[in-house]
Amino acid sequence: MSFLMSRALARLVCGHHRHSVLSVRTCSTQTPDSSTHPTLSQVLDNVTSQLSAAQVPEPALSAQYLLSCCLLPQADLHSARPVLAQDWRQAPAQHLSPAQATTLHRLVQCRLARMPVQYILGNWDFHNITIQVRPPVFIPRPETEQLVDLVLSSLPPPVPGQHLHLLEVGPGSGAVSLAILSARQDLLVTCVERSQAAVELTRDNTSLLGLVDRLEVVQGKVEPGAQLEGLHEEYHLVFSNPPYILRKDLMALEPEISLYEDLRALDGGAKGLDVILPIIELAGEKLPKGGLLMLEVDPCHPHILPTKLESLDTSMVVDRVVEDFTGKERFMVLRKT
Amino acid sequence: MLSLRPVLPSLLRSLPSILSRPKSHIDKSSVPRLDQADLQEKVTLGSGPGGQAVNKTANAVFLKHLPTGLWVKCHQTRSVEMNRKIAKQLLVIKLDNLVNGENSVENQKKTSEKIKLERKKDKTRSKYEQRKLESLKEQSEGQDGEIS
Repeated sequence: MSFLMSRALARLVCGHHRHSVLSVRTCSTQTPDSSTHPTLSQVLDNVTSQLSAAQVPEPALSAQYLLSCCLLPQADLHSARPVLAQDWRQAPAQHLSPAQATTLHRLVQCRLARMPVQYILGNWDFHNITIQVRPPVFIPRPETEQLVDLVLSSLPPPVPGQHLHLLEVGPGSGAVSLAILSARQDLLVTCVERSQAAVELTRDNTSLLGLVDRLEVVQGKVEPGAQLEGLHEEYHLVFSNPPYILRKDLMALEPEISLYEDLRALDGGAKGLDVILPIIELAGEKLPKGGLLMLEVDPCHPHILPTKLESLDTSMVVDRVVEDFTGKERFMVLRKT
Repeated sequence: MLSLRPVLPSLLRSLPSILSRPKSHIDKSSVPRLDQADLQEKVTLGSGPGGQAVNKTANAVFLKHLPTGLWVKCHQTRSVEMNRKIAKQLLVIKLDNLVNGENSVENQKKTSEKIKLERKKDKTRSKYEQRKLESLKEQSEGQDGEIS
C-alpha cells in the first residue's frame, strides 16, 4: 500500500481530520451479529482471536484497548480523554450496546489494517502528560521519555524572574518539549519542524496543555546551509529526537510504522546521520560555550559519530553516551567547546 | 456587653497544645529507603531494535528488590516513566510491610481507621441508649400525669 493511500485510508476509516466532526463510518458492509449477547469477556476473547489470527502484534493488549475505547460515551471518542487497557473491567454493563458493537467493529477493522493503537485511540501518554496523536505524525516512543529527564537534570535550578530558552529540532507531536515545559515553569521552548502536519499537531497539543505562551513552533527544515528564520541568536540547550534509522533498516519496519507514520520522521539516510549532522552544526551556532546538545540516536551512532565529527567544521564534541532502560546506547550528549 | 476577659486566658492557654498537635498520627520514620543497587528493573518492551524502529503499546514495569525477593509489576498508565515511579512506590509499601510488620505505614493507617470506626460505633451506641432513656422517661412522666 502506498504511503499516500494509507494516509487516505486512515482518514476515511477513523475520521482523523482536524476539522471534521467525528462520524461513525465502517469500511466493511458487514454488521456484527448481536443476537447471541456475548459478555465483555467473551467479546474480548473474540477480538483477541481475530487479531491473533491476522498476525497483528500485541493482539491481547490491542483488543483490551479497543474494547475499552468503544465503551467510552460517543462524545468522548477522539477527545483528549485517556483510555487505559483495563478500563473495560470497570464498565457498568456486561454487554455491548448495538452502537458500541458497531464502534468496536470499526476499531477492529482499523487494527486489522495495522493502524497503531495510539492512532486509533487518538491520544497517548508520554512522561507526565497526555497528548493527541494522529497520522502521519510520529508517535512518541517510551525510550524518548528518558530524553525529557536528561534535559531536565542538566538544567540549573530555576531563578525567580529568569527564563531559559531551549531549542528542539523535530518535535513531531510536541511530546518532548511539552513534557519538559510541564515539569518546569521557567522554561521557554522554540521548536523547528519541517512537516506541516506536525507543526499543526504540536500547536494543537500546546493549546491543549495550556502552554501557548511558552512554546513557539517554527516551520523549517534543518539541513546543510539552511537559513532558518524565527530562531533566537542563542539557546541555553538544544535537544532532538531526529530521524536516525539507517536506510537499510527502513524497509524492515513493521506495517504500523511504514504504512501510517511519516517516514521522513524516521529516515536518517545511509548512516542514519543525514539529519543529525546538520543539527550538530546548528547547535554549534546557537549554543554558548559549554552549552549542551542532547540527542536520541541509533545505538551504532556513539561508535561512528566521533569520527564524523572530526570531518565537520564544528566546535561540538561528544560529552557522554547514555543508555536507555533496555541497556542500549540510546542518547548522546554533545558539548560546545 | 459580654466581657471576653474570662474566656481569653483559657483560650490562650490551650492554643499551644492545639498548634502542636500533629496532623496525622502515622509514624513514617522507619519506612525503608530503596537503594538503586538493590533493584532489578525490566520494562516489557521486548527485544528488537527499539527506539524509533519499533512501536509497541506494552510498557509494564517489573521491579524486583534483590535482597528480599519482593517484586511488583505496574502497568497502570501508558507512560513508562509514570509506571516506573508508581512501581517504586508500590515496592516501598511492600518492603515497609515486610520489614515493619504492623508498624508499617499501611498497617498504621488500617489500625487508625479501625479505631476511628470503633469510636464512631461507640458514639452511635451511646446516642441510641441516651435517646432510649429519654423516651422511657417521657413515657413514665406521661403515665404519672394521667394517674394524678
